[in-house]
Amino acid sequence: MDLVFKLLRKNTSPTRLAGFLVSNLIGLAIIGAGLQFYLDARSIWQREDSFLKSDYLAINKIIDASHTLGGASAEFSQAEIADLRNQPWVKRVGAFSRAAFGVHAAVALDGAPGAGGRSMSTAMFFEAVPEGFLDVADGSFTWQEGDTDVPLIISKDYLALYNFGFANSAGLPKLSESLISGIPLRLDLISEDGSRRERLTGHVAGYSNRFNTILVPENFLRRMNETLGSGGTEPAPSRLIVDVSSPGDTAIARYLKEKGWEVAGDKSAASATYMLKVVSGIVMAIGSVITVLSVLILLLSMSLLMEKNRRQLHSLLMLGYKIRTVARPYWRITAIMSLAAGALAFVAVVLLRLYYLQPLRGMGGAPSGLWGTAGLLLLLTVIVILLNCVSITRRVRGAWR
Amino acid sequence: MNPTPNDYRLRAIELDDMLPEVFVNESIPHSEVWMTHLRFDRGRHYLIEAPSGGGKSSLMAYIFGNRCDYRGTLRFNNRDARELHTDNWQQLRRRHLAYLPQDLDLFPELTAIENIRLKNDLTGHVPEERIDEWLNRLGIASRRDTPAGRMSIGQQQRLAIIRALCMPFDFILLDEPVSHLDSTNNRIAAEIIAEEATRQGAGVISTSVGNPLLLHSAINVRL
Repeated sequence: MDLVFKLLRKNTSPTRLAGFLVSNLIGLAIIGAGLQFYLDARSIWQREDSFLKSDYLAINKIIDASHTLGGASAEFSQAEIADLRNQPWVKRVGAFSRAAFGVHAAVALDGAPGAGGRSMSTAMFFEAVPEGFLDVADGSFTWQEGDTDVPLIISKDYLALYNFGFANSAGLPKLSESLISGIPLRLDLISEDGSRRERLTGHVAGYSNRFNTILVPENFLRRMNETLGSGGTEPAPSRLIVDVSSPGDTAIARYLKEKGWEVAGDKSAASATYMLKVVSGIVMAIGSVITVLSVLILLLSMSLLMEKNRRQLHSLLMLGYKIRTVARPYWRITAIMSLAAGALAFVAVVLLRLYYLQPLRGMGGAPSGLWGTAGLLLLLTVIVILLNCVSITRRVRGAWR
Repeated sequence: MNPTPNDYRLRAIELDDMLPEVFVNESIPHSEVWMTHLRFDRGRHYLIEAPSGGGKSSLMAYIFGNRCDYRGTLRFNNRDARELHTDNWQQLRRRHLAYLPQDLDLFPELTAIENIRLKNDLTGHVPEERIDEWLNRLGIASRRDTPAGRMSIGQQQRLAIIRALCMPFDFILLDEPVSHLDSTNNRIAAEIIAEEATRQGAGVISTSVGNPLLLHSAINVRL
């Protein structure tokens, strides 16, 4: 057996090392669990509106009696838009443009629209947002001059209203998102004075939680406004789409409240993601504190051990042993302890995860892999080992004279 | 000397106007070591005689790099000892400078043979048979597997002499090496040390306070 190791492992205290192992294990497990939970749970909110980054907010004015009774304007003035654009948290502002014509849509419930079967028709409206705010990569949300088919993005709420409200009471079949997407709509676009008409077909290309509206491609809306509109100036927008740097920023909420504006659509995703970040952050901070304390335990117990073995250290150096040869047994102890704590913490995270994986999947979350957590734990373990090795080498040097 | 080639030889150790810090404000009697020029040459034997408290252990510790609380200059082959780094010293201690400290510095928890191996495993210098021979000649072969802490001080001194020899060296520093030995063991120790020094062409620097190592043709230096 290595005589140097035999000499230097004297005075090692299993209790102190176990104390480090347990506390470091707990600390790292909490950090790992915090990160893993954040990575896994994030998917519940992120899966929505895949074509729209969560950093976009749709903003409108809160409608109150003053708007209803006339007087106050629900539209955004140029000055208001400019002021918004100057906020530090705003990256880009786009205006919703509105159709300057009426829209009438019909769906055939059995057979083609207008072919005598049962059909459902409704008055509708179109809006559009500037290109670049929507992120539909597959090109399914485009319209070109001459196309007679128009893609639409509708609010998910409309489908829910139909399925759970109207279809039930009217004895109509329930429709899934994919089914709806396959049904052609007959669209009649009618100018304000009724003198001009366009007949087109449309189909639903996507659903949104964020926009309570019916979106069409911007170039289509512009073209139709030119054809069917009264030729007047474009009306001021009543809704804005804003690209923000951080949706959880409290400055946004403060600004909107002050102005009497609100964020449209599903606000829970952004705030839930924000809360998830905060909670995970708190959990990881607690874990970090415990980890730091455990590393201090290890540093202190190694220091104490080396202080107790100072005579042996000094004598070995007197014999001509290299600093690193003498330090190596202590490096070995800390490396083994830290790696064990890191590995056990990873196992603990994997086991903890089993408790929430099932309900998470039930909520529609797609759990992420374990690589992020494994990487973080490994990184922390390596940092702990390096820190200890530096401190150990310094102590051995201290025993030289 | 950074790093030294394998054929590096420490030919001379020189002291120029050296004085331990503790003596600075004291009037000291005439000395052949302090506040003068002294040169130790490789291959020669030196006996440093001194009264207790004359600073001989300090001198040994300065040369071995264990302490540096002195005025003046200490040079190895013309290189100032103060310029050496830890690594240089560790290399000197493995290949060029053997040292038997006055307090022996054995590991009491290790057996006699383990104490020797701790040094010899590091240098790989002395064959096992020669170690056994030395243990026999110094009369401690039967204590081979006894923890050093349970050996008598005289036996420990003989053990420490053997350990000090377990390396290649250009100089061997012996601080009161036979203070606890009878004249027979003194003579045997002197023979073994002289044999090994001759084998290596090395210098011997030994101190004493009245019971000198029985080396032949040694140069006497008064501290």
